[in-house]
Amino acid sequence: MKFIIQRDHLLQSVQDVMKAVTSRTTIPILTGIKIVATEEGVTLTGSDSDISIESFIPKEEDGTEIVEIRKPGAIVLQARFFSDIVKKLPTDIVEIEVENHLQTVIRSGKSEFNLNGLDAEEYPHLPQISEENMFSVPTDLLKALIRQTVFAVSTSETRPILTGVNWKVENSELTCIATDSHRLALRKARLASENTGTYNVVIPGKSLTELSKILDDTSDVIDIVITENQVLFKAKHLLFFSRLLEGNYPDTGRLIPNESKTEIVTLTKEFLQAVDRASLLAREGRNNVVKLSTFDGGVIEVSSNTPEIGKVIEEIQSQSIEGEELKISFSAKYMMDALKALEGTEIQVSFTGAMRPFVIRPLHDDSILQLILPVRTY
Amino acid sequence: MGSVNMKEMYPKNGHVILHVDMNSFYASVEMAYDPALKGKPLAIAGNPEERRGIIVTCSYEARKFGVKTTMPLWEAKKLCPDLIIMRPNFDRYRTASSVMFDILRQYSELVEPVSIDEGYVDITDSYPYGSPIEIAKSVQERILDQLDLPCSIGVAPNKFLAKMASDMKKPMGITILRKRDVPIVLWPLDAEEMHGVGKKTAEKLNTIGIKTIGELANAEEMQLKALLGINGIRLKERANGNDKRTVDPDSVYDFKSIGNSTTLPRDVSNQRELYEIIGKLAGQVAARMRRKKVVAANIGITIRYKDRKTITRSKKLLNTVRNEKEISVAARELFGKHWNGDSVRLLGVTATDLLVEDSAVKQLDLFSYEEDAKKEPLHNTMSKLREKYGTNIIESAGGYLNQQTKPGNDTSFNKDFLHQKKQRDHLEKKQKD
Repeated sequence: MKFIIQRDHLLQSVQDVMKAVTSRTTIPILTGIKIVATEEGVTLTGSDSDISIESFIPKEEDGTEIVEIRKPGAIVLQARFFSDIVKKLPTDIVEIEVENHLQTVIRSGKSEFNLNGLDAEEYPHLPQISEENMFSVPTDLLKALIRQTVFAVSTSETRPILTGVNWKVENSELTCIATDSHRLALRKARLASENTGTYNVVIPGKSLTELSKILDDTSDVIDIVITENQVLFKAKHLLFFSRLLEGNYPDTGRLIPNESKTEIVTLTKEFLQAVDRASLLAREGRNNVVKLSTFDGGVIEVSSNTPEIGKVIEEIQSQSIEGEELKISFSAKYMMDALKALEGTEIQVSFTGAMRPFVIRPLHDDSILQLILPVRTY
Repeated sequence: MGSVNMKEMYPKNGHVILHVDMNSFYASVEMAYDPALKGKPLAIAGNPEERRGIIVTCSYEARKFGVKTTMPLWEAKKLCPDLIIMRPNFDRYRTASSVMFDILRQYSELVEPVSIDEGYVDITDSYPYGSPIEIAKSVQERILDQLDLPCSIGVAPNKFLAKMASDMKKPMGITILRKRDVPIVLWPLDAEEMHGVGKKTAEKLNTIGIKTIGELANAEEMQLKALLGINGIRLKERANGNDKRTVDPDSVYDFKSIGNSTTLPRDVSNQRELYEIIGKLAGQVAARMRRKKVVAANIGITIRYKDRKTITRSKKLLNTVRNEKEISVAARELFGKHWNGDSVRLLGVTATDLLVEDSAVKQLDLFSYEEDAKKEPLHNTMSKLREKYGTNIIESAGGYLNQQTKPGNDTSFNKDFLHQKKQRDHLEKKQKD
């Protein structure tokens, strides 16, 4: 194998596939990156067996040559060293050549590295996925779907299924739900394509986070293929495979209250900043709990009290308060996470009592909701 | 200094209480750390990089410019462009605070920390150390010498007056407030100046024509009770210079853990038997926690094997625990994870990160909140009653169970039988009152 490649393209691809590579793997060859050179271009693969990423660098793009293939072939190089080398090479052009016995030479300018490679034949095959059932989502929408839900997955392995995001496709609508059982994030999106099929799967939160990091904010579409135990995201020159979580995701539909006893409408940013300030001292205490009280005339009071440090009280003039008077305490962190995930300048918060979940939505937008369980104070 | 003489400087009946209040504590600690900051306007604020941060505390130099606690940073900067802004270093403050309380304890065992930067000392029996004023001066000097921190001290016959007194001269003041001074010193002040009267209460008092502490002291009891509930009567008492609260060194702010352990009659390696013992220990810990009215955020275990090798392991919990079942579940889980299967000689269960019941919270769970929500109407009724008649009027019956259990032969990590006695005395006193 021998090819000459533009360093920035190589670096971008290496950094993308590195997202899947981990040093903690039971399969030693997975600490490496597989490099395959064909007449069409160069393909890099990284995997930790849960996530696999394949990045393709075409021979040329928009009439500019990126790679010059001298001799097709394949090799696996230690990911940690290879990525550091590529990052620090002195010139914009890199030559990679496999000599005998898997010895790989990386040349750039006047520097030359000799790296021991591994046999590419021994690298596990990526899952074979038939692309019969497929639906598409613009990249920027996909990133929003991930950003607005994935933060709410559970970080504890007590209920492994909750470490993933539940993706449901039905009647050309995609619904993403994540919950760690203390808060829940839900986002819906209409799919452009017809006959999208019906799915109900759970994608590990970590996979979606890594996917989101690799994707640029463009409106290019991503094709999504879901099988029984894998999901594949296909972008231009990029394949992202993830294992699905096994087990049934709890039915959250019935857990989201659809009536309310107190409704607040307020400005998102103003409310977020008030909660942030109220949590300033609470954060240092054990719980980071803030309290919200409603008053006549649309006044909301946000406060916190950490006996050993101090207390904060702040009043906000809301757009409106309807229904019963309310005093409720909740985690400032969950509230700030939820508010940051919402788009829109005004939010509506619907409460059904001090010990029941409450729902936050952008005003006049049903495609997204954040649900938070309050904390009980004694 | 002859102690016989000194005794004459103390009241024959009644108490002498100091209230020690550290002056702009966080800012002063920073100045002690970095003397270059002294004499400069300094503010401690969350998120100094962000415009929306707020002032947590500030130095007296900054106060001269009108900078105040909870003021947004941008506003403070406008008032005082040279303001130095620092992030809080809570570890430093905690260390300074604990040294400060250690100094106070050298004059009397009866030290009650109220918060990180203030506390009461009952020096009624401290005459060997000098007259009350001499002790106050000595405390102030030692805190300044050892920690380079200023404080103000109030000297009075009870907690309320001591607190009011320490507020009168800042920084580095010592103020004596006797009961006979109350009409002259306190009564002309606005009611809002009174400790225990907030903005809301002051507004309410205003509606019945009470503007000063003096007017509150002479207000009609029925009217006060109708307006503020039981708290109204209490405030009137205070306005007259009366406060019966004692200085309680066992107030929760200070104690750190409750643990019970037991040496087994023989070495045991049967898991079921060991689990049973853990359950029993958990029950004892739960009973002691109930007496102190605390909940725990951290549960630990101690295992001593027959070769005397001892391990302790603990776990921070998402939600606080309080009852036998919760503590034993957490302790058994820890045991299951860390027991190596060898014969065990001693077992212990410890609850740490203790919080007063009232300040504890429970994060509700989407899949189980209904259980808590069921109790919501009761919860509401209780908090309404408390608002009307004071905190102690109603408690769940659980608080009164097991108060009579005798301390057994098990080793107690924390000698709380003193506390028990105190509580008994307290109950008896309550009945007499």
